[in-house]
Amino acid sequence: MACRIGVDVGGSFTDFAVLDDADGRLASLKVFSRPDRPGEELIAALARLGERDGIDPQAVERFTHGTTVGINTVIQRNGARLALFTTRGFEDVLEIGRLKIPQIHNLYSVRPTPLIPRDRVFGIGERTLATGEVLQAPEAADVAAAVAAALAAGAEAIVLAFLNAYRNPANERAVAALIAGLAPDLPVIGSAETWPIIREYERTVTAAISGYVRPRVAHYLDRFEATLRGAGVAGPILITKSNGGVMGLDQARAECVQMVLSGTASGVIGAGWLARESGFDRVLSLDIGGTSADVAVILDGEAQYGVGERVGDFQVHIPSVSVSSVGQGGGSIARVDDFGVLQVGPDSAGSTPGPACYGRGGTRPTISDAMAAANLIGHRALGFGAVSVDHEAARQAIAPLAAALDLSIEAVAGRIVEVSVSGMFAEVSGLVSRFAIDPREFHLFAFGGAGPMLACFLARELDMKGVVVPPSPGVVSALGGLIADVKNDFIRTVYREADAATVAALDRDMRALTAEARDWLARQGFSGPGEIGLSADMRYAGQSYEIETRLDPAWLAAGDDGALRDAFHAEHARVYGHADPSASVQIVNLRLVIVGRTPKPRLARLSAADGPAVPRATVTAFFDGRATPTALYDRAALQAGHRFAGPAVIDQDDTTTVVPPGFQVAVDGLGNLLITRSEG
Amino acid sequence: MAFDRRNLKILANFCEAAADAMAFTLMRTAHSAFVKETEDFSCQIVTRDGLAFANPRHFGAPWYSGIDYQPLIAMFDHYEEGDIGLTNDPYSGFVATHTPDLHVWKPVFHEGEIACFVVGHIHNTDVGGAVPASLSRALTEIEQEGLRIPPVKLVSAGRLDPFVAEMIRTNVRMPEQNLGDLQAQIASLAIGERKIGEIIRRFGFADFLEGVEAILDYAEAQARRILSTIPDGDYFFADFADEDAPGGRPSRIALTLRIRGDEVELDYTGSDPQLASSLNMPTGGRERHPLVMVGLTYVLFTLDNSLLLNAGTLRPARAVLPEGSVVNCTRPAAVGMRSLTCAMTQIVTVGAFAKALPDLIPAASPGGNAIMNIKTAGRNGRPVMASIGPVGGGGGGTPFGDGGDGAGGATGFLRNTPIEISEAEVPIRFLRYGLEPDTGAPGRHRGGLSAVMEFEIAAPDTVVTARNRNRSILAGWGVAGGEAGCVSHFVRNPGRPDAVELGNTDVVRCGPGDVVRVVGPGAGGWGDPFERPAERVLADVRRGAVSAESARRDYGVVLRDGAVDDAATLALRAGRPVRPARDFAFGAERDAFEAVWTEERFALLTDFLAAAPVDWRYFLKQRVFDRVDAGTDRAASVADEMAAIFASLNAQFRW
Repeated sequence: MACRIGVDVGGSFTDFAVLDDADGRLASLKVFSRPDRPGEELIAALARLGERDGIDPQAVERFTHGTTVGINTVIQRNGARLALFTTRGFEDVLEIGRLKIPQIHNLYSVRPTPLIPRDRVFGIGERTLATGEVLQAPEAADVAAAVAAALAAGAEAIVLAFLNAYRNPANERAVAALIAGLAPDLPVIGSAETWPIIREYERTVTAAISGYVRPRVAHYLDRFEATLRGAGVAGPILITKSNGGVMGLDQARAECVQMVLSGTASGVIGAGWLARESGFDRVLSLDIGGTSADVAVILDGEAQYGVGERVGDFQVHIPSVSVSSVGQGGGSIARVDDFGVLQVGPDSAGSTPGPACYGRGGTRPTISDAMAAANLIGHRALGFGAVSVDHEAARQAIAPLAAALDLSIEAVAGRIVEVSVSGMFAEVSGLVSRFAIDPREFHLFAFGGAGPMLACFLARELDMKGVVVPPSPGVVSALGGLIADVKNDFIRTVYREADAATVAALDRDMRALTAEARDWLARQGFSGPGEIGLSADMRYAGQSYEIETRLDPAWLAAGDDGALRDAFHAEHARVYGHADPSASVQIVNLRLVIVGRTPKPRLARLSAADGPAVPRATVTAFFDGRATPTALYDRAALQAGHRFAGPAVIDQDDTTTVVPPGFQVAVDGLGNLLITRSEG
Repeated sequence: MAFDRRNLKILANFCEAAADAMAFTLMRTAHSAFVKETEDFSCQIVTRDGLAFANPRHFGAPWYSGIDYQPLIAMFDHYEEGDIGLTNDPYSGFVATHTPDLHVWKPVFHEGEIACFVVGHIHNTDVGGAVPASLSRALTEIEQEGLRIPPVKLVSAGRLDPFVAEMIRTNVRMPEQNLGDLQAQIASLAIGERKIGEIIRRFGFADFLEGVEAILDYAEAQARRILSTIPDGDYFFADFADEDAPGGRPSRIALTLRIRGDEVELDYTGSDPQLASSLNMPTGGRERHPLVMVGLTYVLFTLDNSLLLNAGTLRPARAVLPEGSVVNCTRPAAVGMRSLTCAMTQIVTVGAFAKALPDLIPAASPGGNAIMNIKTAGRNGRPVMASIGPVGGGGGGTPFGDGGDGAGGATGFLRNTPIEISEAEVPIRFLRYGLEPDTGAPGRHRGGLSAVMEFEIAAPDTVVTARNRNRSILAGWGVAGGEAGCVSHFVRNPGRPDAVELGNTDVVRCGPGDVVRVVGPGAGGWGDPFERPAERVLADVRRGAVSAESARRDYGVVLRDGAVDDAATLALRAGRPVRPARDFAFGAERDAFEAVWTEERFALLTDFLAAAPVDWRYFLKQRVFDRVDAGTDRAASVADEMAAIFASLNAQFRW
């Protein structure tokens, strides 16, 4: 049977999503990850899929993978030994950055150490002006001296980042050619080729990250490919991109920066597609694990994009699915400070030693312990039987806090949840302001091991429409890779007033970009013209940040600069609440995105309920410290059309959904739990 | 029911989220680079009595976390829902502290009763007046510093007063920017008002009011605990801005820090009289005025990063601010460049705490962080004006590591303007932007390197302004055996026959082909440089931060063939003459100045000037300096000499 497979390799589990090409059915599989012997889990899973579903690796038409190897390389600081060539006089670009220190009230605070130390930065005598005119071309002898010095310093690759290269990359290309002659095996990463945006630090750091992660990414991809080929997979292998699309292995190896956020993007893409298929057009995705809690804004199934997404100590300035960290996850530690105030985080027990209730050596109370002490989780083993919850250990961990606060253990548990949720609320509130959205119009789409556990509490604070928990919260990321489209971004910096003369130039740029984009799509093995989206980063003269405004290609062809400006005024009014039609408008960048749509699965429908949902048991749980008889449901036993009121706990192999009093649950035809506030 | 303090963190998180939302809205909707690139703005939520209890966590200028809006709130007897107050006048309540800062405040009502106010300010690039961007050290009266808007209701019960907007439009150079930013402020207040409404619905009105007080109390308790770990005592520290007016004499900021238990007094007696330049700070003598508390806030936060910053943080502190002095000027003193003097108050605060806690407090960042602006002709011939970023020194060396390069310590909150943005907007060509070698003062932990910027002018009649220039005469200090910094430079046409060293000039005219070079002042070091591990000195030499000559001269490290010559280094370090033990290194210029202008002499001068009317003080200061310089009154003692000078002046002038 012909099929497509998406895989997500996590710290504990590896998830597979399998799409049957013939009938569009979706299957999933979860196996233990093997960090000690990477690749073993892939082989084991393929074997299992063969036995269980009769899948022949030869028949896998497409294998898609989202990975965190890129971002981990930056966080762990174990990437390539790079050299950087800059315009002479500007060698400190990475050292000085944007100047501001991380903690502005702290006299000890300093900026993070750059990925390329200053003694491997070399100035080249060259200069391009802001107009794109080359004032000084690089000289061979100068470049040769720099290459010799870089090699002597042990450089494994060279990053080129020259002033104004966003406008004209000729000097970067010339130096790359010279290096190729001098040291043919030395990889060269040009800043304009990586992503040609204005702002020298942002462009340089993006190119540096791309070069920095390259060896580990390449090694990882090589091994991944060899494993799959060895297991008999013959079809194309694709990697999820930071922009939520997919690309072939060759592009992934060449443009490593495109996959730095591959892992997080996969989850958001999966959540967005599932939400739209289920009929929810505005959602915030909430992915909470043991050590992180991430939120993304999704409109009409589309993830929102940002530039400047955080990667370790730095920001990467390519179009990326925008994901914001809102907390440290279920392992965040609670404590009572010296003034008798309950605090949660920033310390985290992480996955080692983990929460006290996991019985792996943790003794300090975490959010997960609070949920256990309130008897809201742990009615069956967690993580497919990997962890059985020790409720008594959770209570013991919380007991000292209860003594300090003069409250019962259960009451403290309730407040730990409240404090942690108020912290997440504060972060989400900032996100909501940044994107100018109203959370009251949104559903919270919860996944990850701890997302469904905390989602209702957060949704209540944000006054959201409801919470959606998909049938298999663990498989969302793997599914994201599976359904992602083939997609690439293109950009030209324009930096001109939006007048008639500019429109003619834009039309030429658009045609050139379109040809480039179609060529790219064909090279990914995609047949058909693909869908083209055109937009521009625009602003009022004097503003220092741009708004991305969608453009109609027909305006450019017709030379209609008025339509261009009107679109910007309208977008400005939408985002900011006011516009100034008399002010002059600048176009900073022209953007084009090409998308080759891939087939999507048909989600299995759940059988309709033939009677009311029946709880497995009724337990005494604690909400806000109050003992409350709480119905315990088995997720696998729920059927379409089931409705029941909270308080309730719904458990399944990979997560526990907690439904506080005042909420009600409805199971839809696709098996999603839709949790909303009860009327009245 | 009394507010349950155990819920304090939850309420604090919600309130900070509301302040964050205000800041995000302002950042998103403002028009000017000052907001978006430089982040020179503030947003707060303050109690009904005006005390700030919530600040944004990630954005904005760091000076205003403990601000008190009470004087502005009290400007009106009555508020209605939908009112917004506005002022930028430094002499109306002393909340606005120079004319570019437009402060707004809006009551938040709950069922007809005021719950709190949402407030904030934006630094407007220009508010009219004698010079573009409204600010120059050379201005002498507040009237020269642009439009002054007395406290007015910009919006009354939801209706905008069109006259106020028209008045702004009529008086400033780039009205679209001011009015665009004002719109953004209104939007930011509206978001804050809505968020507070949601918080009150969640917690209840009574609990909200009590909870807010609990948040202030909590910050106060934290601050008191930090203060109680500092040894009781009086710690005196003084420092000098280079000039009290263009080409003038040093301007002294003196501080006696009195630690008593869990309280602190910052007594600025001994600071210069009110000046005939715009370096004056309009504090109104308010004992917790934010401008004189910035350094304290930094020190307390550095000692405990969990410190909540709000008006409660400042409750254990009070300042003594003599009227008619540079830290408490009276109308019509100009105040535009009060930031230069404010930087000096931060420096003396850090210095005084370094005496109290020598093992914990770093050398201060040197101040004098030049804000570079350019007004020139664009490629289309039209005038263009742009902020091309700050150029300052690094952070001072700390007990735990080197100071930050290019920016650090108290001046680390500014962002730069990308060179590519400046070149795209203004027809100038940059020759260099980066870090200048050998500018971080030697120390076991050295000062951070200074920033350097060099650019070439393309059009005639170009005006370059470098606000805040300082430290081109008197260097920043080092501590605990660390060296003093080097001085800053501002040069037109460096290395050419027509080179001009511009010193602390803040406005310079240029033509095509002229090159302007600015180097920030050096940050002081911490600890004896001869104790710096030789390998770290070598690493600095390799990265170009320190020259081989400096390594040998300042650190006693001898390098040979790119490696440390251990034997020669050991010999050089062992052979150093014994240094006089002293806590601070002030540099040769200041040492020479203070050889004449001792603490005793300044004490006598302070008393003499304090007895004179405010409008005579600056004049008399100059005459006293003239006489001391001339040396015609030398006597057996400083006291006798000064007495003779005072008597002579008393006879010559009548006041």
